[in-house]
Amino acid sequence: MIEKKTAKDIIFSILPVVSIAFLFALWVYVSGKNPDFFPTPAMTIERLNDLIKFPVSRISVFGHIWASLQRVLIAFGIAIITGISLGLAMGWNKYVHAFLGPIFEILRPIPPIAWIPLVILWFGVGEFPKILLVFIGSFIPIVLNTFTGVKMVEPIYLNVGKVMKASTLLKLMHIVLPASVPAIFAGLKAALSSGWMVVVAAEMIASRSGVGFLITRGSESYDIALILCGMIIIGIVGAVLSVILTYVERWLCPWRAEQK
Amino acid sequence: MDCLPGFFIRKSRACKKERVKLVENNDNKIANTMSSIEVENQNRKKERLRLTVLSISGMMIFLALWQISVGFGWIPKKFLAPPTEVLKSFAIKFYDTRPDGSTLLVHFISSFYIALVGFTSAVVIGTPLGLLMGYYKVFDKLVKPVFELIRPIPPIAWIPLSVLWLGIGTTAKSYIIFLAAFVPCVINSYTGVRLTNPVLINVAKTCGASKWKIFIRVCVPSALPLVFTGIRIALGNAWSTLVAAELLASTAGLGYMIQQGRSLVRPDIIIVGMLTIGLTGALMAFAVGSLENKVVPWRVRK
Repeated sequence: MIEKKTAKDIIFSILPVVSIAFLFALWVYVSGKNPDFFPTPAMTIERLNDLIKFPVSRISVFGHIWASLQRVLIAFGIAIITGISLGLAMGWNKYVHAFLGPIFEILRPIPPIAWIPLVILWFGVGEFPKILLVFIGSFIPIVLNTFTGVKMVEPIYLNVGKVMKASTLLKLMHIVLPASVPAIFAGLKAALSSGWMVVVAAEMIASRSGVGFLITRGSESYDIALILCGMIIIGIVGAVLSVILTYVERWLCPWRAEQK
Repeated sequence: MDCLPGFFIRKSRACKKERVKLVENNDNKIANTMSSIEVENQNRKKERLRLTVLSISGMMIFLALWQISVGFGWIPKKFLAPPTEVLKSFAIKFYDTRPDGSTLLVHFISSFYIALVGFTSAVVIGTPLGLLMGYYKVFDKLVKPVFELIRPIPPIAWIPLSVLWLGIGTTAKSYIIFLAAFVPCVINSYTGVRLTNPVLINVAKTCGASKWKIFIRVCVPSALPLVFTGIRIALGNAWSTLVAAELLASTAGLGYMIQQGRSLVRPDIIIVGMLTIGLTGALMAFAVGSLENKVVPWRVRK
């Protein structure tokens, strides 16, 4: 019985390796037939190596990553502050919700990417329009989730606050905000991944720097290995960002991590 | 000993009197609460009216500010079209192919068709895959590593590659939309099966159900609400990715229309396109929501 179980365990631990190996073999096989159209893994790694050594349009690859990150982080910071405040206000005060809700409901279903042409028309192709676009992309999920979080605060907590004669500010800061932190974090995660996507899209459409630009550059100069490198970099940075946010969440609301 | 019964009698009389008083009081109270309920109702009605007025006035102020700021020239006309002009362009766009080559309906159908192809294939492939991955460890171990490798790459980053490989036609765009919709379908079905209450599975086991039967009759139904959450996320992703694909490489579709609006400096066309995109997205989300209520009626929706 024990031996059988270990045999099963061994099979299960081998399976992931098998699937990755299969994917890799598929890549080697398909790219071997037409390496110009689909670079081999070796070519891609070589290109990645070159990318680290030689700058693309006078900016090193880390410069490009930093350019994108900077846009996302500035916009994300502003969206956190304004989005959480607006979500709190809309969830706490029904008059604010009644006043701003309809406008928000009309703007909400428009994907942030659909704002790109209008924002470029307004502000050109500099830094500010990109930050604005990322802001639009991350602002909406933050507001929505904060609003839902505030609405779902246990009424008994608020009643305790009332009994203790807490002021509105005290109730907001010490009851509503902590109780809705998990919902807010769900919003932040959605906002960060949406922001990262928007920055890539904006850089692909109009930019001279950033990871999205790397991909466009690759497709303009028919450097498919560069496109693949760009995609890999975008994937890694996006994954790292979401891991960091998960750790921040665990640090800010440890009671939630224990539940899992 | 003698006085005891008398005492009791007196007490019971007193009790009776008190009870009568209480009943009277209660009647009064009920009468009071009735009127207070009415007052409450009136208050609530007033409150609702106030909120509605506030909503409408919020909308009005927004539209008026928009109209005035363009009308008085605070914002130049080449940057923003006033709401009246947007409405006019919206109506005109139904029969006029200028300035971007097709009517609104043609653009809309072109976008909608591609979105539907990519989205449907993602749901049809992704949902069963996620369900199987959640229940059968073999699928989980085989598919998950590949899935985790592909997942963090935003579908938009696939656009140049798929355009190079598959051209700028329907295939390339459907493929990108498939990628965008596939990931949330798989993740949510997977989580749904994983979160099945173990008690339910144990009951089925005790009753002698086979593994397949447990999967079909217990795990899948209990995963359905999350499956639908995934489908709703997938729909949003698909629609916004489609716009990106059309902005970057296309000759038709709503994304192409707003891109043309930008290069021809026609803000009214851009805004008509954005509103159409938003409205279609909202309508599709609504359709999925009503389908969900039909399929998963036991789910308590917020």
